[in-house]
Amino acid sequence: MDTRTGSLPGRVRLLAGAGAAALTLTASLATPLNPSPAQARAAGDGEKVLTVAVAQSVDSLSPFLAVRLVSTSIQRLMYEFLTNYDPEDARAVPGLATRWESSPDKLTWTYTIRSDSRWSDGKRATAEDAAWTFNKMMTDQGAATANGSFVGNFRKVTAASPTKLVIELKKPQATMTALDVPIVPKHVWEKVGDFSKFNNDTRFPVVGNGPFVLTDYKADSYVRLKANKTFWRGAPKFDELVFRYYKDQDAAVSALRKGEVSFVAGSPSLTPAQAASLEGEPDIRVNDAPGRRFYALATNPGARAKNGQKFGDGHPSLLDQRVRHALFMAVDREAIIDKVFRGHAVEGEGYIPPRFSQYFWKPSPARKLAYDPAKAARLLDRAGYRRDGDGRRLGKDGEPITYRVLCHATDPNDKAIGKYLQEWWGELGIGVRLDCLDNVTDPWLAGKYDLAFDGWSVNPDPDFVLSIHTCAALPATPKDTGATDNFICDERYDELYARQLAEYDPAERADLVKQMQARLYDLGYMNVMAYPNAVEAYRTDQIESITTMPAQAGNIYGQDGYWSWWSAVPAESGGSSGGSSSTGVVLGVVGGVVVLAALGGFAALRRRATAEDRE
Amino acid sequence: MDRDDRGERVGVPTDAPGAPPPPAGTAEAAAGRGRGGTAYPRYVAGKVAGAAVSLLAVLVTSFFLFRLIPGDPVKYMTGGRPVSAGQLAAYREQFGLDLPLWQQFADYCGKALTGDLGTSYQFNAPVLDKITEALPNTLLLTGTAFVLYTALGVFLGTRSAWRHGRLGDRLHTGLALTLYSIPSFWLGLLLIIVLSVGAGPLPGLFPTGGMESGGEEGFAYVVDVAHHLVLPVMTLVAVEYGQTLLVTRSALLDEMGSDYLTTARAKGLRDDLVRRRHAVPNALLPTVTLVFINLGRTVAGVILVETVFSWPGLGGLFYQALSVPDLPLVQGLFFVFAAAVILMNTLADLIYPLLDPRVGR
Amino acid sequence: MTTETTTTSPRALARRRRRASAARFWRQYRTHRAGLFGLAALVLFALLALAAPLLVGSGVSNVTDAPGRPLQGPSAAFPLGTDQFGRDLLGLLVWGARVSLLVGLLAAVLSVAIGTLIGVTAGHFGGWYATVMMRITDWFLVMPTLVLAIALATVMSRSLTTIVVAIGVTTWPTTARLVRAQTLAVETRPYIERARALGGGHRHIMTRHVLPNVMPLVLAQTTLIISSAILAEATLAFLGLGDPTVVSWGGLLQDAREAGAVSAGHWWYLVPPGIAIAVVALAFTLCGRAVESVLNPRLGVGR
Repeated sequence: MDTRTGSLPGRVRLLAGAGAAALTLTASLATPLNPSPAQARAAGDGEKVLTVAVAQSVDSLSPFLAVRLVSTSIQRLMYEFLTNYDPEDARAVPGLATRWESSPDKLTWTYTIRSDSRWSDGKRATAEDAAWTFNKMMTDQGAATANGSFVGNFRKVTAASPTKLVIELKKPQATMTALDVPIVPKHVWEKVGDFSKFNNDTRFPVVGNGPFVLTDYKADSYVRLKANKTFWRGAPKFDELVFRYYKDQDAAVSALRKGEVSFVAGSPSLTPAQAASLEGEPDIRVNDAPGRRFYALATNPGARAKNGQKFGDGHPSLLDQRVRHALFMAVDREAIIDKVFRGHAVEGEGYIPPRFSQYFWKPSPARKLAYDPAKAARLLDRAGYRRDGDGRRLGKDGEPITYRVLCHATDPNDKAIGKYLQEWWGELGIGVRLDCLDNVTDPWLAGKYDLAFDGWSVNPDPDFVLSIHTCAALPATPKDTGATDNFICDERYDELYARQLAEYDPAERADLVKQMQARLYDLGYMNVMAYPNAVEAYRTDQIESITTMPAQAGNIYGQDGYWSWWSAVPAESGGSSGGSSSTGVVLGVVGGVVVLAALGGFAALRRRATAEDRE
Repeated sequence: MDRDDRGERVGVPTDAPGAPPPPAGTAEAAAGRGRGGTAYPRYVAGKVAGAAVSLLAVLVTSFFLFRLIPGDPVKYMTGGRPVSAGQLAAYREQFGLDLPLWQQFADYCGKALTGDLGTSYQFNAPVLDKITEALPNTLLLTGTAFVLYTALGVFLGTRSAWRHGRLGDRLHTGLALTLYSIPSFWLGLLLIIVLSVGAGPLPGLFPTGGMESGGEEGFAYVVDVAHHLVLPVMTLVAVEYGQTLLVTRSALLDEMGSDYLTTARAKGLRDDLVRRRHAVPNALLPTVTLVFINLGRTVAGVILVETVFSWPGLGGLFYQALSVPDLPLVQGLFFVFAAAVILMNTLADLIYPLLDPRVGR
Repeated sequence: MTTETTTTSPRALARRRRRASAARFWRQYRTHRAGLFGLAALVLFALLALAAPLLVGSGVSNVTDAPGRPLQGPSAAFPLGTDQFGRDLLGLLVWGARVSLLVGLLAAVLSVAIGTLIGVTAGHFGGWYATVMMRITDWFLVMPTLVLAIALATVMSRSLTTIVVAIGVTTWPTTARLVRAQTLAVETRPYIERARALGGGHRHIMTRHVLPNVMPLVLAQTTLIISSAILAEATLAFLGLGDPTVVSWGGLLQDAREAGAVSAGHWWYLVPPGIAIAVVALAFTLCGRAVESVLNPRLGVGR
């Protein structure tokens, strides 16, 4: 037995040895040999690297499948689109197409494709590639996954010559200069078998013709892109663009503060506390820009399908316009801006944010549902919803009213405003039950909610966000899924929608869009509470300048176009972060040595003590 | 919850695996060995068969449990986008959601046997690929932490037991219990504030998250990853080493009451020699069991630390998959987590009789 | 002696015996300093939670009439600063103790109740019933607890009940095994044999003889499980699976993280709830260990 047990201590010692070795290793590695990577490498081999912190996982790198913001933003960089949006005012400007015109009957569009755009493997990008991309989406269901809606109204797409693309439509469509479809190289993609399974992540670099070329990707770790030196608009100023993953927004902000990354956008934006703490930092600029999102309280108007079938269980009292108006009049939008967004948002008015000035509409003071709880209470009284002895408002069925408010569990603003609603509406005698879910899709599509927090990013062309409130967007039957946002279906709105879609004159169309917003406002099914700002931050010692969109007070991450990363100019290095990191190295080394010495001394002391203790 | 089943630790008298006394089945193995040399293989076969049954049970649970999650995956995939009814049907068919439940289950089991765990809804990629992508990262993190906290726990536990009742012992036990009561995610956040962002005179020494800076190669890559490892590993070690320490300590205290130790001391052997040669090896046996079970549990318990430190591992993937819900991915990951625990429990069962000197061969 | 048995009913005798053993238990418990410390901490927190309506008032969690500006640092008016609504963090911390302790307690009771029920019945009846029950127990034992609890909390709607159930149904197997082992030991004792011979039914034996004997073990187990249940509650709340309208310590940590307190360095928002969780969890652990070592002195824990 002695010999047998004797073999174990050896193993124990080995284990302890390994542990000690690992500790030493970790301790020695604790010294930042590689502080502030962007800076360090920029100094090393002259490569200028722009590192961007992101949180959202890439769903797919295939332009036919990707729908998430991070993926579509990256595709903007990899592939050229037919048209782009001017960073100044978001009007359509040349992309892969240099010119475009429509036929007098509005049904044929002809695009002139530029001849100076080349794929990164040397071949020229032609009208043939564009025609193939659109045709693929029209014929292959798998390829229509992400952008199929753009080609739904296409009759035929042909390449008359390498520089001439012709699209024939079934009906007039005003959005033909806003086709956000990445054009892919035919000679690479025609080899793909199943478009619904191909994620475009097997061969790097990925052949493209955008300002950057995707060179490497590791899920939830990084996406790397190299500058396309032959990009027709001119090469980007940074040599490399890296999207790095920080699943925790606070970690991303800390990384920015340390110089690990050059830019942080947050999802959807930095919190007020983060912005406030970054504002005091040297070398960091907080970009607080008017956002492109609206943040609304949507009301369930009684879910129904196109075939007239009703479903869901929205509260019947909400079908009364006076109730909807009363509820919204009890929402103190100023308090929301002040307390929840802490100034990083603009009070909600019409449906489209003021950033899109040509479409922005706001109610006249007489029309406006201003904050007035007393008036709201009177309105409810007049509508026949009276209080009982306990002060609770009763529905027509005699039961106290309690609304279920659907909220996104991942959005702090939803939860915060939900708490306010509980108290504001509580004053009116109306109960609120906050249903916070990771994924609200299910009750939402089933119409099983009363009110819900809602919000959309608005594109320069507002067609999509307008279309989701038309009757045509309702699901065909309760079993189907429609494009509808919250089951609104209003004849007058629909009529205006049809008119604006066929209107090719920008001013006329804008006027129609404003009329639609007025109608939506009066209906009271979509109550816009705020337009949250895009709050982002970047290091000025790494990025000297960067184009925002719109150029005057605009955002950087998630632009319609590649302007920000393409235009970013690297700062001359020699910033202060280099200095502090070398102090870091010294301190780290010293700290490590001290800890090791202390450990050694402790162990030695212990050993001696044991020996002395022996009787 | 990050440290499961606290009831089992710290020398609770129990026949549950993970407690100091021999794991269930050891006694039979010992008895069997007395009867003949073929007992151990038979014991192994029994354990392996038991593990296989457990794995099957897990497969069944993972399939049916997650069907309860509200949410139609097809509606999620297409939600907010205009989709024709035909496309919806095509989706359902593609993912086999149009079939009756039992048939879906049969398909799932059949495919699982060939290693095909289905296709992730949100990534359009085979579940197995997503898991094999993230698994090495999780193993790196848990493996490193595991080696360190086991070494630290055994080392300090031994020391504590040997000097039990003195100040050092009290301090170590107290510290271990305290760290053990701290929520790991909270400790992680504090470490980020202090050691990564830098507080007061302390500069930020470590990266705030992630596993690599990207673009490094060769030795620089290794250093880079190790640099990113420090804080998450530190967090895991801090919250996990206590259990090993306490179990080692109480096992050793039990052992120290034994007569043979008194004899050995009486022979005039030096204390640390007695300790190393006799007491520690025997007392370590329960620890060995615990160590294996811990390893299995750490893999599943690492979700929080991965979340806090943006580690691209299984935990983060699981959390992301649940919010969709990306059923195939959730099922696959659940299976992997449970399989890790089952595998390690079985290994502990198998190794124990080999190590126990009291079960002479 | 004979006079005593005639004058005292068996019930009173049993009561007296129990009182005596309780006193003995307390005498031994008192010798464990750590256990006393844990107990003191618990009493303190329990008092704080019970007196919270008097100390801070239920209005402390109101957002519309919050007294301060959002995210203020510590000051005389707000010793721990304010949260993102401008509410007093010290008040919220005290108020949060109610939920955290309640959830921990309920979850532990649920867990131990399931475990005891299964353990006692499996130990008592034996046979195929025990085999099936123990298979189920083993199977729950290998389930990754946190993963299972997260899954359960996701499946159900966000509420305190959800959290209690998610913790309760994932942590019971250890108790079941412990209780079963103890039940088996108790049932071999002669007086059970006697009770059975006197016509005591299953129910009588289990509730009158087995249960009182496994109770001390169950008590120790409960104390230990409360500690992990409180941590579990914090964990689930931190992962965003808790009820957002209820103030708990884990919820406060989640709020702090969502508000960006970590990168902004707002330690006063982040540190106190964590310490509170750690102290209460530690206190329960210390009590549990002390109880355990009183009941089973052979274990080295208390030495």
